[in-house]
Amino acid sequence: MNMSNQEITELAAQVDGAALNAQAIEQLSSLGIDLSIEQAYQLQSLSVARRYSRGEHQLGVKMGFTSRAKMIQMGVDDMIWGPLTSGMFIEDGGEMNFSHFIHPRVEPEIAFLLKRPLSGVINLAEAMSAVEAVAPALEVIDSRYNNFQFSLQDVIADNCSSSGFTVGAWQKADVDISNLGMVLEFDGAAVQVGSSAAILGNPYRSLVAAARMAGEAGSELTAGSIVLAGAATAAEALRPGVHVRVNTEKLGVAEFTVSQPLSE
Amino acid sequence: MTNEIILEAAESIRAAYASGSACKPVRDILPAMSLETAYAVQHVNTQHWIEQGRRVVGCKAGLTSKTVQSQLGVDQPDFGVLFADMFVSDGAEVSVNRVMQPKVEAEVALVLERDLDMTLPTVADVIRATAYVLPAIEVVGSRIQNWDINIVDTIADNASSGLYVLGNSPKRLEDVDLQLCGMVMERRGEQISVGAGQACLGHPLNAAVWLARTFVDVGMPLKAGDTILTGALGPMVSVAPGDRVEARISGLGSVRVEFAAEDQ
Repeated sequence: MNMSNQEITELAAQVDGAALNAQAIEQLSSLGIDLSIEQAYQLQSLSVARRYSRGEHQLGVKMGFTSRAKMIQMGVDDMIWGPLTSGMFIEDGGEMNFSHFIHPRVEPEIAFLLKRPLSGVINLAEAMSAVEAVAPALEVIDSRYNNFQFSLQDVIADNCSSSGFTVGAWQKADVDISNLGMVLEFDGAAVQVGSSAAILGNPYRSLVAAARMAGEAGSELTAGSIVLAGAATAAEALRPGVHVRVNTEKLGVAEFTVSQPLSE
Repeated sequence: MTNEIILEAAESIRAAYASGSACKPVRDILPAMSLETAYAVQHVNTQHWIEQGRRVVGCKAGLTSKTVQSQLGVDQPDFGVLFADMFVSDGAEVSVNRVMQPKVEAEVALVLERDLDMTLPTVADVIRATAYVLPAIEVVGSRIQNWDINIVDTIADNASSGLYVLGNSPKRLEDVDLQLCGMVMERRGEQISVGAGQACLGHPLNAAVWLARTFVDVGMPLKAGDTILTGALGPMVSVAPGDRVEARISGLGSVRVEFAAEDQ
């Protein structure tokens, strides 16, 4: 579709505004806006740039659609990705402010901390040797679209629903992380049970894909940045006051508490 | 009257085994939601098979996931009896015809070195009695048409058991994390089931304690040498001729089974 930079910039402002005001908007696709994948990523960049102009900075990237089931459900054959910013960071053991979100969900994930930059087509060994540490993580996703529904282009434009993340204690990257049991708990009760194997069969494959996508975008995953490799289970809807924890085999826990609503 | 319908239901299930064609749900002729009658049907057939010379080698727990329990409207697991002829060697090829309407699930198996014949066995008794742990694939099946089962049907039908495959490499209980062990099951490299130990009643040993207590209650205490299948670590999946299935459980290793192609 022919779309001027001006139009894409305006849409980026709308999507960013939806996140900033915690107010859902209509899907771009249902408004008759037919973006290419490239335009969707362009929109994503412009939207995230507005966060940077408000003082946020980039902490890393997140990978999405990293399970076969999710790719089939979305009718795609590649992953999606988007930046993680300082405004999304929730301290481990800290509080997530529910009023900043629309209809947030949480997923258990594996996080990588890079000691060397990565970009372009690399192999598994190169990916593994660039990792300083691994950690259990929680990602809060919050689609800015009504009813959490979207097309592929919609979700890319919306920075892949990224809205919050917590990383647990970093561990030396000398453990086999290809099949770690992961239990997502709400107030101490298990709500999702899975394995890191659900992330492309091995979370390191997600890092290989992130490096490739960085290369294709003409950028790099920088040393010191975080890569969230993808979800180990289906997402679970958050509610005010709930304590959320992921318990991961060999890696331990990451946790936060969702704030109570302000009393009237 | 009750006795007659118990014998009739038991006969109906044995006829399904003998003919290879599934029978109507036995709940139609049994008292609604009576677990006691359902176990009486199972017991009639167990005694029948023992008299025929089949050797009991242990037991299995079913309905060990909260999700499956709520689907069937119950709040407890169920049990079935394992016979020696149900055992399949790791990697062996079996005909799908050996089990009606086969499905597979990955489990933790315990092998006992002491009897569990005390009153109300505890987890300490189970740990003391366990010689070693093995990864297992249970091939479940149903003698009831189209798996149209409720709790009464599956209990009467020996907890829908079929065959079981054990890995060959024993691990000691103290060397594995049975709660957080990741599980992934694959068919030709495609993930078909993912989970962790937590999915089985919070911990596979919880299922083992329930089985140990239940078998004391029914007057058939578990004995040294018995194999205990503790219950599924992830969703069960249908299999077809030609399928090769491998389950990997973190810390326990892998176990495989092949289903012979139809033309063989």
